[in-house]
Formats: sequence, C-alpha cells, structure tokens
Amino acid sequence: MPISVAHLTHVYNKGLAYETSAVKDVSFEIADGEFVCIVGHTGSGKSTLVQHLNGLLKPTSGTVSVGGVDVTAKSTSVIEVRKKIGMVFQYPEHQLFEETVFKDIAFGPSNLGLPEEEQAERVREAMALVSLPFDAFAERSPFELSGGQKRRAAIAGVLAMRPEVLILDEPTAGLDPKSHDDVLALVTGIREKTGCTIVLVSHNMEDVARLADRVFVMSGGEIVKAGTPEEVFLDGAFLEGIGLALPQARAFAEKLSQNGAAIEAGRVLTREALVDAVAGLGARR
Amino acid sequence: MVERGSFTSVIGRNGSGKSTLAKNINALLLPTGGTVVVGGYDTRREETIWEIRRMAGMVFQNPDNQLVSAVVEDDVAFGPENLGLPREEIRARVQSSLAAVDMLEQRKMAPHLLSGGQKQRIAIAGVVAMKPDLVILDEPTAMLDPEGRGEVLAIAKQLHREGITILLITHFMEETVDSDRVVIMDEGRIVLDGTPEEVYGRADEIRAYGLRLPFAVEVADELRARGVAVRAGVLREEELLEEVLRLCPSR
Repeated sequence: MPISVAHLTHVYNKGLAYETSAVKDVSFEIADGEFVCIVGHTGSGKSTLVQHLNGLLKPTSGTVSVGGVDVTAKSTSVIEVRKKIGMVFQYPEHQLFEETVFKDIAFGPSNLGLPEEEQAERVREAMALVSLPFDAFAERSPFELSGGQKRRAAIAGVLAMRPEVLILDEPTAGLDPKSHDDVLALVTGIREKTGCTIVLVSHNMEDVARLADRVFVMSGGEIVKAGTPEEVFLDGAFLEGIGLALPQARAFAEKLSQNGAAIEAGRVLTREALVDAVAGLGARR
Repeated sequence: MVERGSFTSVIGRNGSGKSTLAKNINALLLPTGGTVVVGGYDTRREETIWEIRRMAGMVFQNPDNQLVSAVVEDDVAFGPENLGLPREEIRARVQSSLAAVDMLEQRKMAPHLLSGGQKQRIAIAGVVAMKPDLVILDEPTAMLDPEGRGEVLAIAKQLHREGITILLITHFMEETVDSDRVVIMDEGRIVLDGTPEEVYGRADEIRAYGLRLPFAVEVADELRARGVAVRAGVLREEELLEEVLRLCPSR
C-alpha cells in the first residue's frame, strides 16, 4: 500500500513554554511493497513521524495519505486506517496481557467482530509468520516465553490484523544477537510472503544497509537525506555531524583506504562485502 | 570469584541467567543453593543486606524506571539521604557524583527532559553517590542510541580506572573487548570464562551459544577462513587495521 506525506509538521505543546516542533515540513512518498528504514539521533523526530502514519498523532499541518485515503481527514475512520496499518512499538512484549498466546493474538481480530473460526485462522497464520509453532505455543501463557518469543508473539498480534503496511519502531532493541537476527528474518519473511510495505525505525546501520530499499535520515525533525543505502552512506562526515555513524564495515573500509590500501570503500556496506574486498586485495597468505 | 578492582563483562542469550546472577550479587535475589559473598558478607544474612546493597550498586536497563525525583540532583541525593548522612556530606557526594558522570551542568533539570544516555548517567551517579565498591550494570545501554551507548560505556571505564569493580552485562560484544575478563553464560551456567583474547579465540563455540563476535574478531576470523594470514588475538578495530595494512600491498 503506498504512503504519501506532504508538508507534515507536528508541534508538541503548542503555545506553551515547552513548545517544540518535532517534525518540520516533511514530504515523501513510499511505493507499495517498498522497504524503507528511518534513521536518526534520539529526538530527531522518527517516532513522532511514524505515529502519524496510522493516525495515532494528528499533524499540526500537512497531510498523510495511505493507499489513497487521507488519514488526517476528519471524515476518515481511524479504525479503518489501523486495520490496514500495523504498528509494532518499541518493546511490544510489554503490551502482552492475555492468559494465552492464542487469546493475545486473537484480541485484534475479535475486536473487528470476526467469527471465531476466522479469528482462529488468523491466529494460525500470524503464528506461522513469526515461526511460533501453533501446537506448542497457542495455549501457553505469553509471560512464560523467552524474550525473543514474547516479542514474536507481540508482533503476531499485529500481523493478525493482516496489515498492508507494517511499521516497526526499533523491533530488535534489547534482544540478544540470535533473537535480533530472528526478528529481522521474520520481518523480511513477512514482506516476501505478504507483499507488505515496511517502515522500520532503527539505530543499527548494519541492518539498515542490509535491508532497506531506501533510507530516510532524520535530524532536527526534518528528513535531511533520502536515498538507497549506497547513496545515503556516501557521506560519513555528514552523518557524523548529525550524531549518526556509518555501518561499521564501511567505516573500516574507509580507514583502510585512507591508509593506502587499494580498496574501493564506496562499494562496501556489509561485513561480507568488506571481507570480500580485503580477501581480493591479494593479501599475504 | 570476581577480583576487587576488575572489569568483568557477562554475555549470554536472553534467558541465559545473566540478570539472575547479577541480582544474586546484591541480594535482590537469594541463592536457592550455594552462597554469594560480597566484600566478606554472606547475602543470606539479613543484618548486612543494606551494607551489601551500598557496596554493590546496580544500574538497570530502563533509565525511566530508575529515576524517582523531578530534579536531577534530588534524584542523586536519594540514596545518601536514606543513609542518614549529614547535609554537607550529601551535598558533597551529589556534587562529586554528578561531576563523575559529567552531568553537573544539568543538576537542576528535570530528568524526563534528558536524553536516554543522560538519564542512564544520572542513574549511575545515584549509585556512585553511595560510594560503592562494585557497580553492576545490567544491560545499561540496551535502550540507548549509539551516542548514548558510547557515553555510558565511557563512564563505566572511568569508574573502573578510579578503582571501582565493574560487572557489565551486555548484548553488545564491542563493549567487552577492553574488559579484564569475559564470562559467557548459557542456560544458567558459565560456559566460557577468560580474558577477551581467550574467550573470543573460540569463535565457533560462541556462535553455537547464539552469540556474535566483536566486529574486528568476526572479520579477522572470516579473513582467516579465506586464507588471509591475520594473526591470532585481534580484538579491536585498530589492531585489525594494522594487520590488514601489514598483509595487503598498498596502492
């Protein structure tokens, strides 16, 4: 589902002493099925921006339209919007509340008034998407799962709504490396299986370099750069100036290049690419 | 056994027992079997529990759950006030603790207006104000952006230089390479324990525990697998840079 944002501005505490413009005159288009990553320093406006996409926040000015529907118009039903746009917040497992994994995931569909068979069907489908085997997990308490499993159960609750756009705000924060990789693999898997548009907010430049079709770089409430990972990570000094870093592999490749190694740093974004480039230098064996 | 004045990092999957271990050290949890002795005191003895908690300060993952006051300096004063110290002493401790985490300038601010990294530094100042011998940091950087992570880690290293024993629990392998010792936990047991060189030399075992290697160690390992003769024991980026430059023909 395509997303179109035009001249979006959001001011917190308007008219008060603490008035702050969290998002300033932001415009962009996201194509149907695109994978967009949003990066930025804490306080750069990332979370405020994405909360406009499903109508959680109303813009001070500007418009947000998703699938051709103006989310910000008074006549638009917010419930219709939220059905189509799934939002996974930071630490989504804090929102688990039901007695069983099944009931927790079925909460959204049951609120839609769907018949029970349809709810069960959706729970099965969502659990399959997050690789939680139905028979082993459906009747367990969500609170006795491991950290990574809890997070997957929470994401399944969002997927059970069959969203056409999935927004994830730092979905891997606090997870160990294995669970981190698992959650990202399931996000790419969901995209492959459902064709969902994905908007991912992340601090992890390695993930961004690997996953994004396009990257939006935010600073001071504005999108200061947008493009493919190759384009966005061209200018390390610029990113550093706004409190961000290059992917580690790229930063390392640049240091090698500055120290005289015959390496094309601009082509290196991931660790694999770095290893390939260095191995290709004709190093001593 | 953790030596006085050492810097130990503890790594392991979610649910591997890291936090449970940490909470046993300052008697937030008591052992079901076995004993924990901190600075000579057994954690099961109720008379000395407060002395243990003063000696072994703890910083948790979520800064928002640890700050109790509406003003930064009041928050740092909370612990010393509970010790019943004289006013002048409390004031001096708040001053020096905030200076230690480089937050003196923000002392009159409301914590909720600070960044995540700054909030964590205030939480650490609150612990430092108790004049602890040991500081346990339980994933203190998990909720922070890269800049905040850097700030908190720098403070931990500085406290260590000042003689405080540090126990750092983390998922970020990079944060552990300067430790005296790295302990890897899995399913409630210590499975690897040694210097960073020793522990990260066992790359395959670490991967089998669902963990990752620090960046330079991983790259060095992959280069070796491709036949490049990177020396053993490379832990840091600077060391890897030196190695690759040594091995590769320059332009």
